[in-house]
Amino acid sequence: MKSSFKRARFLFCILLLTALAVPTAVKAEEIKIGVLFPLTGGAAAAGRELRSGAELALEIANSAMPDIDMTMAKNAGIKSMGGSKITLIFKDHEGNPTLGADLAKKLILDDKVHGLMGAYHSAVTKTVSAVAEQYGIPLINDSSTSPELTKQGYKWFWRTTPHDVFFTKDLFEFLKGMTEGKVKGVPAVPKQDILNLASACEKTEWGAAVSELIEKFGKDYGFEVKKSILYAAKATDLSSEVRSLIAVKPDAMLFASYTSDAILMMKTLKDQKASPKLLWGQNAGFEVPEFVSTLGDAAVGSLTRTVFIPKIAQVKPVAAKINSMYKAKTGNDLSGASARSFTGLQAWVHVLEKAGSLKPADIQKAANAIEIPGAELVVPWQGIKFATSGDDIGQNTLGMGLIGQYQKTADGKIDLEIVYPFNVATANMLYPFPKF
Amino acid sequence: MDILLGSIASGILLGMVLSLVALGLTIIFGLMDIVNFAHGEFLMIGMYTGLLTAQATGLDPLLTLPLAAAIGFLLGVACYGGFVKYLLRGPMIAQLLGTFGLMLLLRNIALLFFGSEDRALHHGLLVGKSFDIGMGIIISATKLAVAVLAVLSFCGVWLLMNRTKLGKALTATALNRQGARYMGIPTERMNALAWGIGGATVTVAGALIVNFWSVNPYVGLIFTMIAFTVVALGGFGSVPGAFFAGLAVGFIMEIPGFWDFFAITFDIGWMADVPMTSFKYTWIYVAYFVIMLIRPRGLFGWKQ
Amino acid sequence: MEAIRNALDFSDFPRLDRVIALAVAALLFAFPLFPHSAFAMATMIQFLMFSLYGMGWNTIGGYGGQVDLGKAQYVGIGAYTTTVCLLRWDIPFWMSMPLGAGFAVAWSFLIGYPLFKLKGHYFAIATIATSLVLKDLFEVWKFVGAARGLGILPFKYQTPDFLRLIFKEDVYYYYVLLGFFIVGLLYMNWFRKSRLGFQLRSIKDNEEVARSLGINVHWAKIKTYAIATAFVSVVGSFHAVYIKNIEPEDTMSLDISILIALMAMLGGAGSLWGPIIGAGVLIPLKSYLKEWLGAAAGLVGIDLIIYGLIIMIISAFEPRGLWGIVEKVRRRRRV
Repeated sequence: MKSSFKRARFLFCILLLTALAVPTAVKAEEIKIGVLFPLTGGAAAAGRELRSGAELALEIANSAMPDIDMTMAKNAGIKSMGGSKITLIFKDHEGNPTLGADLAKKLILDDKVHGLMGAYHSAVTKTVSAVAEQYGIPLINDSSTSPELTKQGYKWFWRTTPHDVFFTKDLFEFLKGMTEGKVKGVPAVPKQDILNLASACEKTEWGAAVSELIEKFGKDYGFEVKKSILYAAKATDLSSEVRSLIAVKPDAMLFASYTSDAILMMKTLKDQKASPKLLWGQNAGFEVPEFVSTLGDAAVGSLTRTVFIPKIAQVKPVAAKINSMYKAKTGNDLSGASARSFTGLQAWVHVLEKAGSLKPADIQKAANAIEIPGAELVVPWQGIKFATSGDDIGQNTLGMGLIGQYQKTADGKIDLEIVYPFNVATANMLYPFPKF
Repeated sequence: MDILLGSIASGILLGMVLSLVALGLTIIFGLMDIVNFAHGEFLMIGMYTGLLTAQATGLDPLLTLPLAAAIGFLLGVACYGGFVKYLLRGPMIAQLLGTFGLMLLLRNIALLFFGSEDRALHHGLLVGKSFDIGMGIIISATKLAVAVLAVLSFCGVWLLMNRTKLGKALTATALNRQGARYMGIPTERMNALAWGIGGATVTVAGALIVNFWSVNPYVGLIFTMIAFTVVALGGFGSVPGAFFAGLAVGFIMEIPGFWDFFAITFDIGWMADVPMTSFKYTWIYVAYFVIMLIRPRGLFGWKQ
Repeated sequence: MEAIRNALDFSDFPRLDRVIALAVAALLFAFPLFPHSAFAMATMIQFLMFSLYGMGWNTIGGYGGQVDLGKAQYVGIGAYTTTVCLLRWDIPFWMSMPLGAGFAVAWSFLIGYPLFKLKGHYFAIATIATSLVLKDLFEVWKFVGAARGLGILPFKYQTPDFLRLIFKEDVYYYYVLLGFFIVGLLYMNWFRKSRLGFQLRSIKDNEEVARSLGINVHWAKIKTYAIATAFVSVVGSFHAVYIKNIEPEDTMSLDISILIALMAMLGGAGSLWGPIIGAGVLIPLKSYLKEWLGAAAGLVGIDLIIYGLIIMIISAFEPRGLWGIVEKVRRRRRV
C-alpha cells in the first residue's frame, strides 16, 4: 500500500516530464504574424488602441475593399502568394521586457510565425528585436521610438515610426519658432520667458532616452534644462517628483509618460497648482483617449507630440475613411497608437506582397526595397522607405511628427489642434498654459 | 522656503494616514506575534472598496468609510478563522510564507476582478480642491480631510483598547495569554477580534488613501513595507507608538523635498544632481534596518 | 578526498529514494533528446535554475532556520557582474562568474554581520529591506545601465561560445545548467554532513545550547549566508547570459526573492531534496497554469491565485513541505 504510493509518485514524475515533451500541433501553412502589445498593465489603454488599429488593418488586408484608396485594400489577402490570408497572433507582454523576449521566442519557435510586429514599450522592443535578430525573423516596429533601437545594426529590424531624435528636435524647433513669432496666434516670445526647462520622464529605455535627448537639444538650442527627473511609470504617487519639478520654477515642463503615469502626473500637477507657461508630453500617455476623458478640462492647453490627429482627416481623404471605420469599430478616433499599428500592419502587407514568399531572406530583401507613397497612409508622412545604409539602418526616412495642443472646441469637446509644423497649424496656440 | 513648509505639511498629513495603516498591523502583532505580509493587500482592498462604492452610489468617498470598516472587519475575521488560526500552530517560517500566500491570493483576486489598470477617484466633495494657506503651502483638501479622519479613527481605536472592557480584554491577552485565559477571557475570540479590528482599521485607511492615490492590484506591497517600518519604529504592539512612528515615516518619505530645499536654497550643485526622488522609498528600508539594529524594541515597544 | 566521498555518499537515504533520484537524473539527461517544444525547454531550464536557487536558499533558510527573503539582490550582483564584464571588457563567463560570486559574498559579509543580530520576522523583513535598497541603487547607477538595463547581443559573438556561454540554442544552456545542478546537489550533500551543517542543526534546535557547546552561532550563520549567496550569484550569472537582458526591476525584484524562498519551503526546507521537489512542482505548475489560464485566456491572475492557495494550504497544514509529507508517511509506516 505504501509502495504503491511511491510508485504513483514516480509515475507522476514520469508523466510530468513526458507531458513537457509533447510537441505542439503543427499548423497549416498560412501567413502568421506575431504581435506583441501591452494588453494589460499600466499602458493597457494604449494596448487596446494598438490592437484595434492592427485588427482594422488586418480586416482591410484580408478582404477586397475597392472604395479605400490603398494598395492593401485592393485584394483579399496577399495576391503574390495566391491570396493567402494573414493571421495575427496577439501576445501580451505586460510591459515586461523579459516576458516580451520569452513570448517572442515562443512565437518564433512554437507558433512558427513568419514575422513579428510590436511592441510599443521601447524596453520590450529592445529585447524582442534581439530575439528576432538571433533567429532571423523579420520584425517591424510600429510604435517604439527610442533612437537606440535602430542604432544596433540589426538586419532583421525595421521601424516605420519616426523616432525620438526627430520628435524631440521638433519640440525644440517649435520652441525656437515661439521665440521667432512663427507660432500661429502667438506673438514672438522673448527667449528668457521660456528659457528654463524641466523634464520628468519614465525611467526605462524610452523615457531615459528622451530625457537625454532633451538635455542634448536643450544645450544645442540654448535652453537651460534645470532638472531631469526619472521616475517609475508604475508609481501610484508622484507628489515628490512633482514637488521637485515645481521647486526649480521651470517655464516649460516636459514629460515622457505612459498612460497611467501621464494621468497621475497631470492630476498631481493640478493638486499642487503647478503653473508652467508651457506643458508638453512626448506622446504615449498624453494621447490615449483616457487622457482627455479622465482629466477633462485639466488637459486643455497641454501639448503633445503625436503622429495622428483626427483633423488630418480633413486634408487626407484616406485618413477620413479609415478614421470613420475605426470610430465605428471602437467609438474613438484614431490616435497616434492605433494609427501607427495600422500603418505597421500596412507596411507588413506591402512587404509580403513584394516578397512573394514566406522565406525570411525574401521578406528581408523585400522590406529593404519597399516604398509606400504617403498618399496611401493615414499618417501625415511622406511615405515609408527604410534606410539601408548610414547609422539608422531600418529606419523609415520619410516619417514626420506633429505637435498638437488640447483645446476646447465650440461644442465643448476637447480635441487636439495642430500647432506644429507651423504651416499646417489648424488653430491658434493657447499660450501661456492655462492655470489649473 | 515654500518647499520646506510644503514638505513639512505634506509629511505631517501623510504621516497621520500612515499611522492608521500601521495600526492594524501592530495590534495583530502585539496580540499573537504573527506578521501579516498580506497587510498591504487589505489596504488595497480598502482602496477598491472606497473607490467602487463611491463610483457606484455616487456618494462622496468619505462617506464610504463605515462600509469599508465593515468589510475590513469581516475580512480580517474570515482570514483569521479560515486560515491564520492554523498557521499559528506551525513554525515561524510557515507563518511568514503562509501570509505571503494570502498576499498572492488577495492580490490576484483583485487582479482578476478589477484588472491591472490604475483607477482613481475623479469626483467627490473634496477631490481636486486645495487650500493655499500662504507662504506657498498648498494643502490638498482631500489630504487634510483624510488626515483628520485618520486621527479620529486612531483616537477611536485607542479609546476602544483602553476604555472599553473588550479593549482591555484584548490588551490583557496580548500581555499575558495564559493569565488572560485563567481570567476567563476567550483568547480565541480575542485573536479573531484583533484581526477584525486590524482589518477594519487598515481598510478604512485604504478607503481614505484612495482619495488622493490611485490604486491597482499591486500597490499592497509598498504599503506593507511602510507599515512594517512604522511598526518597527513605534514598537511592535504599541498603539501610541504607531502614531508617532507614522508621523516620523511620513517625514522620511518627504526627504526628497527636504533635499531639494537644501539644494536650491544654498545653491549646492551636486545635491541638485542627485536623483533623490528615485530614493523615495529607499530611505524607508534604510530606516527599518537602522531602527532594528539600534533599538529593536522601537520607541514605545514592550515586546522584542 | 574525504569531502568528495562524502558528497557522493547518499547511503543514508532509503534505497527507493536513491533509485528514484537516479531515474529522475537519467530523465533530466535524456530530456532534450525527446521532441519538445521551446516552451517545455524553457520550463525545464527554469526548473533547474530555481532548484539551484532553492538549494542555495536552503542552506540558510532550511538548515539554518532563518527565513531569508532578500536573495534577489545576489541574483543581481551575479548577473550584473557577468554582464558588465562581458560588455565592457569581454571577460568570459568562467572568470566573471566567480568574480560575481566574490562580490556577492563580500556584500553578504558586510550586511550579514548586522543582519544576523536579528531573528525571525525581523530578520526576514530586514532581508527584504536590504534587497530593495540595493535594487534602488542599481536603478540609478548609470554604470550598470540604471533602469534601462543591459542587454547582451548574441549575434555579436560566434555561437556556440563556451567561453562566454553564449549559445543560439537553448539545449546548450540546458546541459551547462544541468552540470551546475549536479555539482550543486553534490555540494549540498556534502554540506549537510559537514561540520557547519551539524552546527546549524544544533543552532536550529536550540540556540542557547549550541552556544554553550562552544559554537560561534553568529559566525556560523554568516558563513552559511555567504554560501547561500555564492550559490544564488552563480545562477544569477547564468541567468544573465541565458536571458541576455537584465534590469533591476526584473532581476532584483522582491518577487524573485519570494519565489526562491517559496519553492524551497514548499518542497521542504531543511531537506536535501526539498528545493528540487519544490521547484519541480511549482515551476511547471506556474508555467502551464499561466499558459492555459493566463492573460491570453482573458483570466488574468488565476494562475497565481491557485499558486497562492497551494502555498497557503501547505503552510497551514504541512509546514515541512512536500518532503515533510513524505517523511511523515514513512514514519507512520515504520511504527
